[in-house]
Amino acid sequence: MTTATLETPTQASPAKQKVILCEGNEAAALAVALARPDMVAVYPITPQSSLVEHVAALIADGRMDADIVDAEGEHSVLSVLQGGALAGARTYTATCGPGLAFMFEPYFRTSGMRLPIVMSIVTRDGITPQSVWGGHQDAMTVREVGWVQVYCETVQEVLDTTVMAFKIAEHHDVMLPVNVCLDGNYLSYGTSRVELPDQAEVDAFMGVKDVNWHVALDPHRPMAVDPLTGGTTGKGPSTFVRYRKGQCRGMQNSLRVIEEVHEEWAQRFGRSFAPLVEEYRLDDADYAIMTLGSMTGAAKDAIDEARDAGKRVGLIKIKTFSPFPVEALLKSLKKIRALGVVDRSVGFRWNCGPMYQETMGVLYRHVTATGSSLPSMSFIGGLAGADITVGHFHRVIEATESLLTKPAPIEPVWLNERD
Amino acid sequence: MEQTKYLVVGSSHAALEAVTAIRMHDTEGSLTLLTRDTHLPYSPTVLPYVVSGRSPADSIFLRDEEFFEANRVAYKRGSALKALHAERNTAELADGSEIAYEKILLATGAAPAIPPIPGLDQVTYHVLRTLDDATKLNAAIKQSKHAVVLGAGLVGMHAAENLVKAGASVTIVEMAKQLTDGYFDATAAQMIEKAFTDNGATILTGSRVVKLAPSAIGALLTLENGTTLEADLLLVATGVKPNMDYLEGQGEGVEHERGILVSDTMQTNVANVWAAGDCAQAKGFYTEDKVMNAILPDATEQGRIAGMAMAGDPGVKAYPGGVPLNTYHFFGRHAISVGSSRVPEGGEVVTRFDEVSGRYLKAIFKDDRLLGIYGVNEFFDGGVMCQLILRRVDLSAVKERFLADPLTVGRELMSRIWR
Amino acid sequence: MGKSYNTIAFDSAKCDGCGDCMTACATTKTGTDDKTRSRIQIVGSEADGFELALCRQCGDPKCVTVCPAGALTKNFDSGVIDWSDTKCVDCLLCTVGCAYAGIALDAGTGHVAKCDTCEGAPACVPACPHDALTYITTSRIYNEVGDWEDLFAPGLAGCQGCNTELLMRHTLRRVGPETVLATPPGCVPGMGSVGFNGTTGTKIPVFHPLLTNTAAMLAGVKRQYKRVGRDVTALAIAGDGGASDVGFQSLSGAAERNEQILFMVVDNEGYMNTGMQRSSCTPYGAWTSTTPIGQGTGGMPSQGKTQDAKNLPLIMVNHRCEYVATASTAYMEDLYDKLDKAIAASKRGFAYLHVYSPCTTGWRFPTDQNMEVARKAVETNFVMLWEYNPTDGLHFTHSADEPLPVTEYLKAMGRFRHLSPDQISHIQGKVVENLAFVKQMAHREN
Repeated sequence: MTTATLETPTQASPAKQKVILCEGNEAAALAVALARPDMVAVYPITPQSSLVEHVAALIADGRMDADIVDAEGEHSVLSVLQGGALAGARTYTATCGPGLAFMFEPYFRTSGMRLPIVMSIVTRDGITPQSVWGGHQDAMTVREVGWVQVYCETVQEVLDTTVMAFKIAEHHDVMLPVNVCLDGNYLSYGTSRVELPDQAEVDAFMGVKDVNWHVALDPHRPMAVDPLTGGTTGKGPSTFVRYRKGQCRGMQNSLRVIEEVHEEWAQRFGRSFAPLVEEYRLDDADYAIMTLGSMTGAAKDAIDEARDAGKRVGLIKIKTFSPFPVEALLKSLKKIRALGVVDRSVGFRWNCGPMYQETMGVLYRHVTATGSSLPSMSFIGGLAGADITVGHFHRVIEATESLLTKPAPIEPVWLNERD
Repeated sequence: MEQTKYLVVGSSHAALEAVTAIRMHDTEGSLTLLTRDTHLPYSPTVLPYVVSGRSPADSIFLRDEEFFEANRVAYKRGSALKALHAERNTAELADGSEIAYEKILLATGAAPAIPPIPGLDQVTYHVLRTLDDATKLNAAIKQSKHAVVLGAGLVGMHAAENLVKAGASVTIVEMAKQLTDGYFDATAAQMIEKAFTDNGATILTGSRVVKLAPSAIGALLTLENGTTLEADLLLVATGVKPNMDYLEGQGEGVEHERGILVSDTMQTNVANVWAAGDCAQAKGFYTEDKVMNAILPDATEQGRIAGMAMAGDPGVKAYPGGVPLNTYHFFGRHAISVGSSRVPEGGEVVTRFDEVSGRYLKAIFKDDRLLGIYGVNEFFDGGVMCQLILRRVDLSAVKERFLADPLTVGRELMSRIWR
Repeated sequence: MGKSYNTIAFDSAKCDGCGDCMTACATTKTGTDDKTRSRIQIVGSEADGFELALCRQCGDPKCVTVCPAGALTKNFDSGVIDWSDTKCVDCLLCTVGCAYAGIALDAGTGHVAKCDTCEGAPACVPACPHDALTYITTSRIYNEVGDWEDLFAPGLAGCQGCNTELLMRHTLRRVGPETVLATPPGCVPGMGSVGFNGTTGTKIPVFHPLLTNTAAMLAGVKRQYKRVGRDVTALAIAGDGGASDVGFQSLSGAAERNEQILFMVVDNEGYMNTGMQRSSCTPYGAWTSTTPIGQGTGGMPSQGKTQDAKNLPLIMVNHRCEYVATASTAYMEDLYDKLDKAIAASKRGFAYLHVYSPCTTGWRFPTDQNMEVARKAVETNFVMLWEYNPTDGLHFTHSADEPLPVTEYLKAMGRFRHLSPDQISHIQGKVVENLAFVKQMAHREN
């Protein structure tokens, strides 16, 4: 695993990099500028707003050459980009929460049309109760729609991943839209030291833009984009099924492409991130906790402290959530005997966190692969901007440890309920 | 051997309409038009005006070479049809050459019928059927002092009027009891006769020439009653007969009586052979018997039907039957006849004559349907009247008004009926 | 092949037999006021109605074929059958050939005389005080457009009698191949514009936006071509539902941003493709499948739509678009003029064309009546034809004075069959109010 070398990044290519201090939203904006999109469409929403403000400022200052469309809502934001992409544009936008809900109609269609649009989700909890604070509920709600979704842990990862997202999306084996999820509040506004890659190096990394080779609205290549399909038998259903199969193949291909792109990024820029699943102090662990996004920092601190206290605990971080990295995760799960999964959103149907629910599917694969079950439990914390502290993670570690000896509880453990 | 898909023989109204009709439906099939005449196409009907000098001989042509070129018609003038070999689909020309056709139209028109008067072959006389005839007659009129016209049909009457106007003393000899027999009734004929005698002409109706001999100034005519006339210009205008000598000696060939017998789509009894115009004998409107209706409007109608049928145009409609239509202009007055002059059993004849204005109207009805209408100095729309006859319009409600003012009432009926 | 010509049209319903046209013709052509010498002849009576005898300038003229002297010729440039006084021999055979009394003897000259359309400016037409005569000059459209490529596939699957196919073909021909076409859900894709199961219905790039995002998607397409320096026309042919209801936000947004697109709304006043449901463009009182006729409850019968239609084109005027116009397929020349202007305007900013499109299926009228219904809508002021641009303001392109009563329009179709007198007077009142409103706007804008 690439995780082994995290603390000592390779310096294969001594890329010229500028070090700056910025918040996650600005880091995302700077990354977008480096990726040189032709078109961005924006509509403000907390906690995404400063991201698009930064984008607008970069364009206004001449530091970014893109057509900016101040659309009248998120629905049109994504629609404008669809049109742009079909005409050959590299496109970008960002949204969250209610904005994402509002754009759901074109959102579903973007992956269907195989348009490599990159969109940051500055994650925000779902309303109601009314809240403008962070949480993964928005992105989790749309996880089954055929977009690639990756979650970032740090501001630097936001920057690097946002650039990589364009390359992943536009890879001819993928041709799917990508969400780069950065936690509202914690990453959006969290200010941190960031290494800013050199533009020429990024240009070389990105290669030649070719986004509408497969579907286009171009008088030089006239075609009907998305004709009606349907019928009970014959060509209609056949067309539809082949389309859907193609989308699923693109999703599966993306797992390989994400790894390749991260590897190339590490080679060029000397920063390496686990592309799918990150393991932290897992190799000799009896049990592990599983995290997503910015909470991972506090979780790692708790792991370190628990290790100091003699507990054989490790951590599994999911970076690529969609497609769910089943094989990579299964490999990690085989190293441990108990698992606690911390979600920053809820899964209403299963009374647990959505990531836990996804993981249960992998746990079934674990049983069939190893013949033994892996006790596990769900934690739900950090809703509506609540901080999941190191203290919270010690509780998570303790409860997970208990699974080695006691039966797993059916109910999830709700963090931040009374503390 | 020269081959053509369509061979049209003749170059006047029926032939020209057939060419147009063929080309409306078949723009490509090879088309050859054959005519014995050496001039561009013209109408025999205009020749009296060439005789009078009103129409210069070079301004009467109905088509020019460009027309045939534009319509891809091989236009062969000065090529008379000598014999039709329908059994092998070929036409033999005067020069002995043959043309193979897929379909042939015989639109060969008519020629003057020369009466068998002893001595006629000993004298110089004029006829009027071709442009060359007209040019000769035009020159002769200028020299003539004593002219005799045999026959008081429209051709003869026109020529006689021209001779009168040129200053000759003119005698018209007509076998029938009245002038313009078959065109106009006795009352109209009397009006015509009066116009001629008022202008100095001598009219000898019910007379026939029994002998002709050369004389010092030209010809000496002996009439049935023994009187003699001397003429420096003799015009024989005693009628026409169809040109169909090319059918002679063909055995069981194209059926013909007075003319070539044709069906309602102008087809003869022989495959691939059609006939139209003055040489054709087709159904009459008033009788199922086949009649000669050698008039210009009928020639165009028949030519069009034949052309459409030959080209396989599905729009072809059956020939409704010939309706006589004639107009005649004499000494500044005009006469129009539309339809049948025959009064059938149970028929009704209405006449109106105003001696002062010289306006004469005669209408024939059966069951309140118009069969024929005649006017002298009474203008009505002949085309509208013809439609009233063809459509067998019930005039019972408007008959009195109609007779008082056929022009206005005819137009009213037209607007309501033929929409 | 084929050419169309301008022509004099006669509406007998408007003629009162005054004869002013004949006087004008006689004056122009003979220098007298002798109506019998006019080449246009009005016949008939008040009781039976007035009719017209006039040269039809036939395409296949019998008068020409029966002329022995070559004096009559069809002029393929003007469409007029020309008469040559030098060749004519006064034989009158032409009058026997013509079944329409279009060529007749002029007793004043002794020659035949026929209409020559006064070289394209017929004196009779402006002389008519009742607009019973009009000089139809739409031939330009046919002649020009006929040579342009039809960019739709043959055999679109429209309802019988629908005018939308005509609109689609004409519009696409005019706009040309350097176009990207958006046809949101509705009758237009239903007819096959984007094809089915992998086929296409057009020869240009076409797509099926969502019902909601047509203007936005199209704006994205257009912006990218503008960015790379390609002149591509961005055209939407949308229905009223996708424009005035659920698609209104993106339409309004694109108009406000002055996106360089041409947005054409084919207004059939409802969701006709999905089965004739009500839209915000459905007029008051109209039956639709979601405003049906019934007994109702509590003595309140259901009598069709209970609200007035949203006036979308006026709303678009308030976006101060580069160009906004209303049009009707019963007035093709006007429509074409507006299409030309809208295309030009769409190179500068947002152009909006609102075309009223009677729906034979949903409005319930016979399939051969589409143009007549469209015409009646305009003649009653139920629909007004106008155009707007920010420089010249709003002005009428077809007179709204002396309208027919709105019942002339309402009775032409089944969807209004149930109307009560109160409902009819409401609609008539609304027509008057709309006219006053637009007139005020025209006044203010000018």
